[in-house]
Formats: sequence, C-alpha cells, structure tokens
Amino acid sequence: MDISVDFSGIKLKNPVVGASGTFGYGLTYEKFFDLSLIGGFCTKGLSLQSRAGNPIPRICETPSGMLNAIGLQNVGLDKFTSKKMPKLRKIDTAVIANFFGETVEEYTELAAKLDAIDGVHGLEMNISCPNVEKGGAAFGTDIKTTEAVVKACRSVVKNKPLIVKLSPNVTDISEFARVCEASGADGLSVINTLVGMVIDITKRKPVLANGAGGLSGPAIRPVAVRMVWQCYKAVKIPIFGIGGIASARDVVEFIMAGATAVQVGTMNFVSPGIIPQLAEELPELLRRLGADSVTELVGAAHRD
Amino acid sequence: MTMQCAVISNRPLTEGFFHLSLAPEEPMGAITPGQFVMIRCCDFTDPLLRRPMSVADFEPDGSRFGLIVQTAGRGTGMLSHLVEGDRLDVIGPFGQGYNVPQEAKSVMIVAGGTGVAPFMTLAPTLAAGGKNVHVLLGARTKGHLLMEERFLHAGAQVHVATEDGSKGFDGLVTELMGKQLDHMDEPPDLALACGPAGMMRAVATLAEHSNIPCQVSLENSMACGFGACLGCVAHVRGEERYVTVCRKGPVFDSREVEI
Repeated sequence: MDISVDFSGIKLKNPVVGASGTFGYGLTYEKFFDLSLIGGFCTKGLSLQSRAGNPIPRICETPSGMLNAIGLQNVGLDKFTSKKMPKLRKIDTAVIANFFGETVEEYTELAAKLDAIDGVHGLEMNISCPNVEKGGAAFGTDIKTTEAVVKACRSVVKNKPLIVKLSPNVTDISEFARVCEASGADGLSVINTLVGMVIDITKRKPVLANGAGGLSGPAIRPVAVRMVWQCYKAVKIPIFGIGGIASARDVVEFIMAGATAVQVGTMNFVSPGIIPQLAEELPELLRRLGADSVTELVGAAHRD
Repeated sequence: MTMQCAVISNRPLTEGFFHLSLAPEEPMGAITPGQFVMIRCCDFTDPLLRRPMSVADFEPDGSRFGLIVQTAGRGTGMLSHLVEGDRLDVIGPFGQGYNVPQEAKSVMIVAGGTGVAPFMTLAPTLAAGGKNVHVLLGARTKGHLLMEERFLHAGAQVHVATEDGSKGFDGLVTELMGKQLDHMDEPPDLALACGPAGMMRAVATLAEHSNIPCQVSLENSMACGFGACLGCVAHVRGEERYVTVCRKGPVFDSREVEI
C-alpha cells in the first residue's frame, strides 16, 4: 500500500516524522536504523548562534510522560549548515529545519537563510518553546506577535513550505491556527509541550532547575488530539499531529482528527526504532480499517 | 544496540539490592567498565523512560552481563520481580567507561551503594594486571555492603566504612579515604569513584588536594541514553557550556565537569 503523503509540497514517503527536540539532527539515530526508512524529521530548534541551554536538572519523569526544560541547546545555524547538512543531503528523507529567534528580526534572518539551504525540505517555526525567557512561547501565546512573526517570515521564505509549530498553552488554539493561515503559513505542527511542574517534596523545590518544563509523552495525547481536531476545523492548510504517539493506532487517531501526517517525539527516547516500526505497521492497520490510503482518512472523524 | 535479553538469574544481594544476570540474543560485543545500558522496565508507558544502569560483571564478548539494581521506585521494583527465562528489552552499551593508563601502578577505587557495579570486572582485571588496587566500600550499615568478598578474592586491598559503625571504619567512606591517603607512603596514581553525587564530589576534592587524577561516573537524570534528549548534560567546569553525560561520559576526569 502506498502510504506516502504530500505535506504542502514536502513529499513524505510515509506520514511518520521525527519531532523536533527529540531527534537531534537525525544522525543520532543512524546507529539504530536507516534514516531513509522514515518520512522525515524536524531538526533540533536552530538559532543564529549556538546556545548552551538551561541549567540542570533539565528532565523529570512523570506518569506516562516527562517534563523537559532543555532550553533550546543547539549547535547554531553555521555549524548545522557546515557539519550536519553535507551528511543529511546524502540521505533520502525529508529534512525539516526547526528554528527560533528572540526577536522578529532574528526569526526572519534565520528563515531567509534556511530557505536558501539546499537539502532542507521545509521550515518549522518554533513560536512555542515554553522553556526560554525570550522568543519561543512569548511569540506563540500572543495573537498579535504570532501574526507579526509569521508574516515577517512568510515575506522572506520563497522556496520552501513554512510550517508553524503551535503552543497548546493558549485558551483557543484555533484562533492561532487561523491567524497563521491568514499570515501565509503553509502548514501547522500541533502541538508543542504543555507547561507543567513537579515538586521534590523533600527539598521543597521544583525538580527542574528552570522550575516549570514542557510535558510530553502519552500523557498529553488526548489533549493533542483535541487540538488537532480544533485546528482541522479552523483551517485548510495541512497539520502535523504531535503528542505522545506510541503506536500505529495513535497515528491513525491523529489522522482521523485531521492530521495529514504525524510527528513522534518522546517515544523515540524509549524505543529509538519506533518511527520505522510504525511506518511498517501502518499499512496493515489501514487495511483492517478498510482504507486504501492515509489521505482518505484525514479528518475522517469529522465526517457524518 | 537494541537487544532482547533473557534473564539468566535474579539473585538477591542484601536488603533492597539484587543482581540480574542477562544474556542478549546476540553478544553485545566488547564492554568497557563504566559503560551503561538502558533498561525498559515494562512494555507499557508508565513508568515511561528506560533506566540507565552501569554494566557490572560481564563476559568479554558480551554474551552475558550483570547489573546491580537497588529497588528505588516502581521501575526498579518491576525489575526486582524478574525471574529466570523472562525477557528484558535493553539498548546499549553506551558512553565512555573508566580509562586506566598503563603507567598507573596503584589505583584507589571508592564505591558507594550500587556504585560497586563498574568495578566488579575492573578491579579484578587491574589486580590481575599487577596493579596495587585499594577498594574502599561505603554503606549505611553492614548489611548493605556489596561485593566485599569478590574484591578480596580478586586480590584487592579492601577497606570498609559504615555510617553506623557496624563494620570497619565508623563514618563516611570519604572520611576513610582521607585517612588512607594520610597513611599511605606513596599516594595512589589514580582514583576511581562511583556512587552518590555527594560522595563523588568529596572523593574528587580529596584526590585533587593530593594531586591524584580522579575519574567519576555521573548519573544525571537521563531520558534516552544516546545523545538525543540533551537532558543528562553536565556543566563543564569554568565554562558556559554543557556536555552530554551519556556520550562524553558517564565517566569523566573530575576536573572536567561539575559533579
């Protein structure tokens, strides 16, 4: 069965993609499987300069999930271009560059530079990282700044699809989805992590040095499915469904809620081979559900 | 890298500690003491993350290896119930182990709790290689001391400290280390530590005061074990920079990182 999908012009040989922040720059996973088996992946969030990230502890396990406050540690654009891209160009999979800035100017400078890099298939704007003071969610939880930053990036991105990764930490995510679409976004990634906290009761302090962190993993899946559902109702552009996907069944659930493709995040840490495994299991599940393609099930749960 | 392992045995050690012996479907290959594996405690998603564990005893080709586990929470509690013939999902081995230079003639090992694990094979190897090996073992009480016999049989000089004074030196293993260093004619050429962070910090300080190179094994919280999550990083001393414990460590020269 052909399970390839077209995500705003990005050809994915299957609809299962590695989520930003859990997949390094792809190459980390080469020791586990052939990267050409997966639909694609989103890079660790890139900034103009490299970033050291947050103090430790940065992670904490939670029921069926985890909190993280990594703080967007990354190698920076130059090193990504010179050290990672030459290797990635040789691999037949979609490379989606996730990026962020602290100002609109930084976002647009990065967007323009990434748009010019041969071998990058798409851009994913991170306006939703909950773990940094400036940039990230400071943009993505305010409707006006969301509009401004998406419009600014849209005006400089000429060659590649521009996807916006939305924050779930808002009252009405569909409002943000609509603004992104109206500002020229080609697609949405729904959702980034939910802000959470765990307290060490013996130390009487939050476990994470940052205090709060982003909650991910199967614990957030129903929230994510609901938000994909809301965004699908609100916009026409394609959606990446993200949030605790751990099985082929979960992939189909997001697709039926309205996702064109999905991203797997936290479960990569637990089962580093999960993405090719889900891609392999998907056709059989689709067959059992009486479907001949992924596309025909997109938004199926909305239809009478 | 990804292995289904058969449980060969699950042997209780002392209260709250047990030894798991595992046989991977395919031998996992050469292992350096101090390297670790990531253990999945259950097939479902709670507890979700794998548990990092130092490889303890092992066959040279990795056809069998052991883990020393302390029951600390639900994940390790599940592992404590494993019996012969059960399967366990393991990935690894990962990281950089201890590096004992040829020219080091005498080595001081300091271990607390499950920190004895990486030395179960290393101490006998060093002793068999003609090195003078001191093993300092620390525990809260006599009943919690691990692997004393094994180190004695290996030909190491074993020194014990218990916090309640029930056996050996009455106090912390790091206090014992201070006394040992004072009494030795020649300081050891190298110190190796594995145990709680506070213990390793104290070992590193003592070693640095005596100009003894010291290697420590960090056990920062870790989600993946192979460099993807960037959760386990350690702060590089004197720099605004972090290194991944899972890839650059878990064993570091104590002067490189903040413990």
